[in-house]
Amino acid sequence: MSNTDRATQWLFRLGYGSIFLLLVAPVAVVVATSFNATAVVTFPPTDLSTRWYTAFFSQQTWLRAVRNSLITASGTAVFSTILGVAGAFGVRHLDRRTSVAITGLVLVPLLVPGVILGVALLLFLSRFGLQQRLFTIVLAHALWATPLTFSVMRATFARFDWHLQEAAMDLGAGRLRAFREVLVPNVLPGIVAAAAIGFVVSLQEFIMALFLAGRETRTVPVESWLTLRNSLSPLVSVGSALLVVAVLVALGIAATAIGIDRVAEET
Amino acid sequence: MSVTTGSLRARFRRTDRRALLVAPIVLFDLAVFVVPFGYLLRISLTERTSRGAFVEGSWSIAGFEYVLSTPTLVDSIIFTLGFATGVTALSLGISLLYAYAIWRATGGLRVLLLVGVLVSMLTAIIVKLFAVILLFSPSGFINQAIVASGIVAEPLSLINNVTGAVIGQLYIVVPYSVLAIYSVLSSIDQSVIEAARDLGAGRLQAVAAVVVPHTIPGLIVAGVISFTWSVGSFAAPLLVGSSAERTTGIAISDLLQQNFDWTAAAAMGLLVAAIVFVALSVTYVALGRTNGGDDE
Repeated sequence: MSNTDRATQWLFRLGYGSIFLLLVAPVAVVVATSFNATAVVTFPPTDLSTRWYTAFFSQQTWLRAVRNSLITASGTAVFSTILGVAGAFGVRHLDRRTSVAITGLVLVPLLVPGVILGVALLLFLSRFGLQQRLFTIVLAHALWATPLTFSVMRATFARFDWHLQEAAMDLGAGRLRAFREVLVPNVLPGIVAAAAIGFVVSLQEFIMALFLAGRETRTVPVESWLTLRNSLSPLVSVGSALLVVAVLVALGIAATAIGIDRVAEET
Repeated sequence: MSVTTGSLRARFRRTDRRALLVAPIVLFDLAVFVVPFGYLLRISLTERTSRGAFVEGSWSIAGFEYVLSTPTLVDSIIFTLGFATGVTALSLGISLLYAYAIWRATGGLRVLLLVGVLVSMLTAIIVKLFAVILLFSPSGFINQAIVASGIVAEPLSLINNVTGAVIGQLYIVVPYSVLAIYSVLSSIDQSVIEAARDLGAGRLQAVAAVVVPHTIPGLIVAGVISFTWSVGSFAAPLLVGSSAERTTGIAISDLLQQNFDWTAAAAMGLLVAAIVFVALSVTYVALGRTNGGDDE
């Protein structure tokens, strides 16, 4: 191995090593600072304490934000999974051109900037006096979650060997029994993963939520954003740490359901 | 014969009924995406007014005229295009290097690097931006480390300026960009590199001559993601940039919520959406070309 090659090799390792550290640093930083004892947010923390967790859970605004986040994320997960499962199943029975058109329609919102989607929805919904409700945030988040649940379910249905269902019916199982005992167990991991992904999308999103939320319907990221605009509060560290934990739990569920490589490839 | 026709017809009907399951998702996207966008277009074509948000029922192109004739708004569009181009270039460089590292790594290291990118992708944007402040501010960890190591005497100003906005935006797009490139790389046989090196190519040369050309579809997708999301960037320039980094997203939000000028806000939103659409179409055509090239 020549000297230049060795130098390149070391530069390469330094490069991807630094990128790796920068990628995972935010999680480490917010979790570490959430246990900081001081009122000034510093990293690394000097003294450890759980006082900011106590403070977080005794404040009405943050408790409401946690509740709002859980409601919108669960709502988005359920709603976008139902749409995704039904759509991915139905699209198999359409001719190619219709199926391509529908796939395009479903995927396009993912490429529209959140600010513009947020503005469009805010103007449209305020015409009917529907802004500042939690379900409007669910609808907005579902615009970004359904393309993902739809893709995951299409891949799941494509992997399923549909002959198995026919075989079960040939062996005497009724349509319902074949559905319940053959199709469902085979595609359930995909459904669980799709729901987890929908949950995570909603949990993280805050630009559309920022436009659509009212005082009562702020989610944790929206509340964090509004707080951060004023000051670096340790309570934002706690909120962020909770978001990280919730996302990791959801990712863990998705990864156990379908394997980490598929999560990486399909989202 | 009639039996066949009958069963065919029954089959056709059954097929049709199952296809109806696409109805909910189509209705949803029509009601929550297409119709609100139509409404945005309608508002962008109303007369502007200082009393209220827009003049109901009127027709005018004053909103577009206003946006295109107001220097601060035009500057904002130009700045955003430059910002998005810069972020895209940096994102492609960083992501190609990292995706290549994942691809070349084996066993535990490969899983670790993959987990790193997934963790970042799944970290909420607000968490990443908060961490950028804590890490890159003058009193932050990274600046302290650089000063302590003696490379520079004074902390560098890495946030509350364009550098901060770029760092923040990179945190948002890089994970997706890495995965787009990696998904293409993972389908290439690693032995192409050994072959190139056996034939006398240096390490960098082998990568440039053999890997990059195969990765072009992934690079294009990564570029589209980085560019379209940066054209719509809002949070990163607002929180870790300064007032000089006024992207179109920030300008639209101000028009809507401070000036209460819905017509102009809608017009500007549609202009930005149009830019994104043009960028996507160009890329789609380019992607079709490269794929066509591969087929031949």
